[in-house]
Amino acid sequence: MANESKKEDGPEEEGGEFADFMADISHEIAQRVESLGPKPKPPREEKKKTPAPTDAGLITEWPNVADRMIEEMR
Amino acid sequence: MSVVNYGTREITCKIVYYGPGRSGKTTNLQHIYSQLPEERKGKMVSLATETDRTLFFDFLPLDLGTISGFATRFQLYTVPGQVYYAATRKLVLQGVDGVVFVADSQSRQLAENIESLQDLHANLADEGFDPRTVPIVMQYNKRDLPAAEISSIEELDETLNFRDVPFFAGTAITGGGVFETLRSVASLVLSRLSAPATKES
Repeated sequence: MANESKKEDGPEEEGGEFADFMADISHEIAQRVESLGPKPKPPREEKKKTPAPTDAGLITEWPNVADRMIEEMR
Repeated sequence: MSVVNYGTREITCKIVYYGPGRSGKTTNLQHIYSQLPEERKGKMVSLATETDRTLFFDFLPLDLGTISGFATRFQLYTVPGQVYYAATRKLVLQGVDGVVFVADSQSRQLAENIESLQDLHANLADEGFDPRTVPIVMQYNKRDLPAAEISSIEELDETLNFRDVPFFAGTAITGGGVFETLRSVASLVLSRLSAPATKES
C-alpha cells in the first residue's frame, strides 16, 4: 500500500528550518563546485621564432636555435 | 559516490536513514517533509503496514533547486527496521552517499540498536562499500521519553559510536535534532563530492 505522507499541516514557521538548512548547504555546495570546477589551462608560451640569418646567411644566435630545436623535439 | 556533473550541471546525493524498527526513521522524514515550502513539496512516498510500520521503504526527493548553477537533489530513504526485511535494506543501500543511523534511546532497545548497526556494516560491505569510510552520523532519538527509560547520550555514544562520527540527540516526533542531523550528513557527503573523470584533450 503506497501512501503519501499523512502530514498535511503546514509548517509552524513557513520553511524556517528548511531555509536555514538551505542557506548552509548552498554555501557548502558553492564552495565545493568552485573547488572541483575545471581549472583554466595556463596560457601557452609563445613559440620562439627561429632567428633570422644575417645578410651573410649566418645564424649567430646559437643559444636560441638550440632552445627551439629542443622544444621541437618534445 | 555522488558526483558533480559539469555536463548536465546536476548534483544528486542519496542519503539513507538506517536503524532498528520503530526508532523514528520515518518520523525524521515526515518532519523534513512538513518543513518544506509548498513550492518544493514533491511526493513523499511511504509503503506502510496497517500498524504504521514501514514495510518497504520511505522515499523523499528533496529538490533544493539550482545552487551555483547546478540542479541539486537530495534523495532521502528509510529502510524497514524489522529483522526480516534484510533484503530490502540491502537494496536501499545501493549507491548510498551517506547514512543517518537513528538509534532508539530506550534502554531496552540497546541490543536492537547494536544488531542494526552490525547489520548496516555487513550490508555496506556486501554492497562493496568500505563501512569505515562511508559518511555516517548518529542520531540518538526519543530523548523526550522519561529519563528512567532511556540510556544517557554518553552511554549510547560509547556503545554505538565506535567510529567517533558526529552524533545528535533527537526528538523526531517534535522535530528536535532532525535538521541538525540532516545538515551534518549532507555536509559530510558534500565534502566527498568528486568531479567526474574527464578525458584529457
